Amino acid sequence: MNKISVIIDEKKFDVDPQKTILEVCRENGIEILTMCHLKGLMDIGACRLCIVEVEGINRLLSACTTKVAPNMVVKTATDRIKRYQRITTELFFAERNHVCAVCVSNGKCELQNLGYKVELDHIRYPHLFPQCEVDTSHPWYVMDHNRCIMCTRCVRVCNEVEGAHNWDVMNRGHQVRIISDFNTPWGQSTTCTSCGKCLHACPTGAIWPKAIVQGQLEKNPVMVTELVERRKMKL
Amino acid sequence: MNRHELQAMVEKAKEKHKQLKHKICVCCGASCISSGSEEVLKKLQNEIKTRGLENEIEVVPSGCMGPCNQGPLVKHLPENTIYQRVDCENLDRIIESQIVEGKPVEDMLLFADSREKPFVNANEDPFFKKQLKIALKDCGDINPEEIEDYFAVGGYQALDKALYRMTPEEVISEVKQSRIRGRGGAGYPTGLKWETVYKYVSPQKYVICNGDEGDPGAFMDRSVLEGNPHRIIEGMTIAGYAIGASKGFAYIRGEYPLAIKRFEQAIKQATKHGLLGKNILGSPFSFEVEVRIGAGAFVCGEETALIASIEGKRGTPKPRPPFPAESGLWGKPTLINNVETFAAIAPIIQNDGEWYSETGTAKSAGTKVFALAGKINYSGLIEVPMGTTLREVVFEIGGGIQGGAEFKAAQTGGPSGGCIPAEHLDVKMDYESLTSLGSIMGSGGLIVMDKSSDMVDVARFFMEFCMDESCGKCVPCRVGTKMMHDLLQKIYDGKATQIDLDRLEELAVYVKETSLCGLGGSAPNPLLSTLRHFRQEYESKILKEA
Repeated sequence: MNKISVIIDEKKFDVDPQKTILEVCRENGIEILTMCHLKGLMDIGACRLCIVEVEGINRLLSACTTKVAPNMVVKTATDRIKRYQRITTELFFAERNHVCAVCVSNGKCELQNLGYKVELDHIRYPHLFPQCEVDTSHPWYVMDHNRCIMCTRCVRVCNEVEGAHNWDVMNRGHQVRIISDFNTPWGQSTTCTSCGKCLHACPTGAIWPKAIVQGQLEKNPVMVTELVERRKMKL
Repeated sequence: MNRHELQAMVEKAKEKHKQLKHKICVCCGASCISSGSEEVLKKLQNEIKTRGLENEIEVVPSGCMGPCNQGPLVKHLPENTIYQRVDCENLDRIIESQIVEGKPVEDMLLFADSREKPFVNANEDPFFKKQLKIALKDCGDINPEEIEDYFAVGGYQALDKALYRMTPEEVISEVKQSRIRGRGGAGYPTGLKWETVYKYVSPQKYVICNGDEGDPGAFMDRSVLEGNPHRIIEGMTIAGYAIGASKGFAYIRGEYPLAIKRFEQAIKQATKHGLLGKNILGSPFSFEVEVRIGAGAFVCGEETALIASIEGKRGTPKPRPPFPAESGLWGKPTLINNVETFAAIAPIIQNDGEWYSETGTAKSAGTKVFALAGKINYSGLIEVPMGTTLREVVFEIGGGIQGGAEFKAAQTGGPSGGCIPAEHLDVKMDYESLTSLGSIMGSGGLIVMDKSSDMVDVARFFMEFCMDESCGKCVPCRVGTKMMHDLLQKIYDGKATQIDLDRLEELAVYVKETSLCGLGGSAPNPLLSTLRHFRQEYESKILKEA
């Protein structure tokens, strides 16, 4: 296959033109922060953490949805990008009710890790403290909307990998919520197969199994990626 | 119907109109209907019948005439006399004086307070005199519910010309030569867009007409769809022929029931006459148009969200690239243009591209429709050449500020645009000049404000709109607009400090630069432009540190 050359952070790479900027960066050890991306699921460019500067384009592009192009010059770690990544992280924390100390995913949480990575010492914006439901109606799992960051990885894994499409999104703006079926309690869902893939896809402590307590959550998002890769190989 | 039959229809319709002595148009656009024009129409039709004048005088419902706040409007042709605020009682005076005696009713003529005297021929009123109507040309003169009326003004002649005398490449080159730019707001060169879609090879392509007009205070698309739906169908069909599409969708917002009704009716009429469907006008080209109704989401005016909505999905935008020209509706190459852009296509083809490009400025050719609203004497719909100054629009065409108050600012482009203060009244209304002032052309909403408007409140209002209308997909727009709104509210309430203002400014730039789509990317514009031109109003509300 013909390779094209791109320059990322002043280093030249010869790459497959079908790849996204994010894939190229990850394969070559360039760190790009992501939250809504999970390898194997369709990328939607929603979290805006993976934004990069591309020479000749006056907008910031999301690395996960932008394919490389011949002689593309990409910058991934300018001061502007770092500043924006920090603001995005602050907004994540200010949006819902994230209390690490009582959270099942404490210590293993992607949002928490993101906070460490952008060296978040405090949040400059007022917390919104929305009233969020905790749906415990499912016999095995819990959906805690307080901890949801609307990455929609659960929605995509349920639709694309499990094929059940139990999860979806309702409302607009800061009122958006993940819903089960047509906004019925999860336990009453007629589509959920209780496969638990959403639990592993979720980056925070929003979806978790009932049998655990604070800090005990073990998630395996790589399982989703591997599952998708294995299916591709079978085909 | 083949092309010869079309010619015969056109001649017949023209002949019929020649025989009539008078034509009376009663404006049946949404705003005149809301002030009772349908009753006026009914009564007038009955009166003409009882007096046995129906062979001399034709009474028709028409589309928007322009000065909407003076409605219901009744226009008497060929004198072109417009009467304002007509109701079933004072209609008798028009009948007795204008129709029976042939004398105009002086005190009912269209008139704004700031003018010296009313005009018997409305075209002498600066409101009409300064306008140049291309997209709105027949709107207000013809019955939008009758295809024969559109034939009488040369309807579907451009389609005939395109199908029989031009190749798709020639159509595209004509559109390119006209230098028309997308009228939805972003101003992308239309010809270039057509060419891009044309170049992608695919057995299936689509044409989409974006009629999901959502800016507060904007009603250009609605008026065109209500007043001259066949013009849009003709424009879309020509576009379909040019790019090689066989199917078009008109996405019209659900809040425009009349526009939807008339457009669907027009589709039926056009299909019946062989102007849509298989082998249009006997040519090998086939094209059909379907209406899709928006469910009330502002974000569905964004092209990728609109496409998702037509596909039956949740209306949320997707990152571009890929652009719809490459991968649009159901992954197929898709041409998506605004209603007003399609309205200009038939005249461009019928005359030629050069004719269109002679109007306007060097970089912005042609005319633009604006919806005047706010504290202005004539609020309504106007069409002016690009490059007309804001002063001409507000003070000459619009008749100045209500009650003779002082002009403070004009908001263009609605929640995605910005304000223009009094010192820039002489700015030319074109894409580049407005952008350089921190505003945008936008779809054409123009809200005029006088000294009573608080600019912080204006910014807060538009931010509230964007906050409610954000789809919630990306973080900067979903959370950022909420944070900015709360900070603006805090400033407005007089509880904010300088730190809050600094944070607000930082957030505004962040949301503008990082948002996924144009909604978030332009949501901070009203805030940034009011800060740029009226910073003292913000600072006067800030708490001074003790």
